[in-house]
Amino acid sequence: MKFITTNFVKCAIKGCQSSTEAFPLKYEDCQLAQEEQEYNPEFIAHMLERLNWPAIIQVAKDLGNESLPPTKPESLDPIMEDDQAVLRDLHTLLLETQIVEGRMICRNCEHVYHIKNSIPNFLLPPHLC
Amino acid sequence: MLPTPEITDIDYDKVYEPAEDSFLLLDCFEEEKEYLQKRFTSSVPIVTEIGAGSGIVTTFLQRNILQKSIFMCTDVNPHACTTILNTVKTNNVKTGEEKIPYIVDSFQMDRTTAIRSQSIDVLVFNPPYVPAEDVPKIPTTYDDSTWLDLALLGGEDGMVTTWKVLDNLDQILSTNKGVAYILFCARNKPDSVADKMKSRGWDVKTIIHRKAGWEVLSVLRFTRI
Repeated sequence: MKFITTNFVKCAIKGCQSSTEAFPLKYEDCQLAQEEQEYNPEFIAHMLERLNWPAIIQVAKDLGNESLPPTKPESLDPIMEDDQAVLRDLHTLLLETQIVEGRMICRNCEHVYHIKNSIPNFLLPPHLC
Repeated sequence: MLPTPEITDIDYDKVYEPAEDSFLLLDCFEEEKEYLQKRFTSSVPIVTEIGAGSGIVTTFLQRNILQKSIFMCTDVNPHACTTILNTVKTNNVKTGEEKIPYIVDSFQMDRTTAIRSQSIDVLVFNPPYVPAEDVPKIPTTYDDSTWLDLALLGGEDGMVTTWKVLDNLDQILSTNKGVAYILFCARNKPDSVADKMKSRGWDVKTIIHRKAGWEVLSVLRFTRI
């Protein structure tokens, strides 16, 4: 599971649908790996528009990274040198960082989901479906 | 004609083997290439295939149609989840020319239940559309021999799983650009499905229609009016 997709998954349980606590999930005991990806600064800049930044910060913190800026970097220009560095860092963090093993916990209902071999399991036991 | 993804080393006792329905979806997206590229020209769309199986359709989209996207595939079958990632990897061997990352994750998940509401821009679903008495239960062990049944059997009219998606479509698709492509066979009564969805405020268009062996298959496109 790539870091970026943590920004789009929430607790699967129906009762948590309307809870603001069900996203982002809390990440615990995670093993990370870096997987090289082609660097495309325009892609990162466009992608940023889609992201919920507070959730990115929260998950980064769960994974031991507290170096992110408190507000989302806006209108980054791939031609500017300062922006280049920011885009590079975001590329490494969001696209190249894989969560290989670990647990995701809903902050609302405390249900635990497991990540194995980079694949998160969101299937629910029948009584929770 | 756009290249068909390479599919290798798959155990077809456990993962759905690409067949006429899969290839109809590839042809559908070849026809929709311009429409989709225009629709997402200045944004990075979230693309989700439910029940991605071998990964052939997602890989085709990622390689040929929507290169700059975030793909989140789901399948209830753990064997499929692994296969999807392998297929994507096999087809993204570095050529040295491309500078586009491939962002594809797979999740063991029922439909889209753990994906945030109204975040999916392009939904693709080749459902279990074969009419059957019941939709099979999800196996509890990895080595169960019935995982494949889930890819085929769709309960009454073969529509039980598809209706779960259609009834939730407004919550699933992003509000401004969301679009869904769903495959039907004639026994699913796609015309009456289309009428019902139109009455709920959806624009429904048949993109492709084909007689495949003894089945008549079609792909319908759903967008908000």
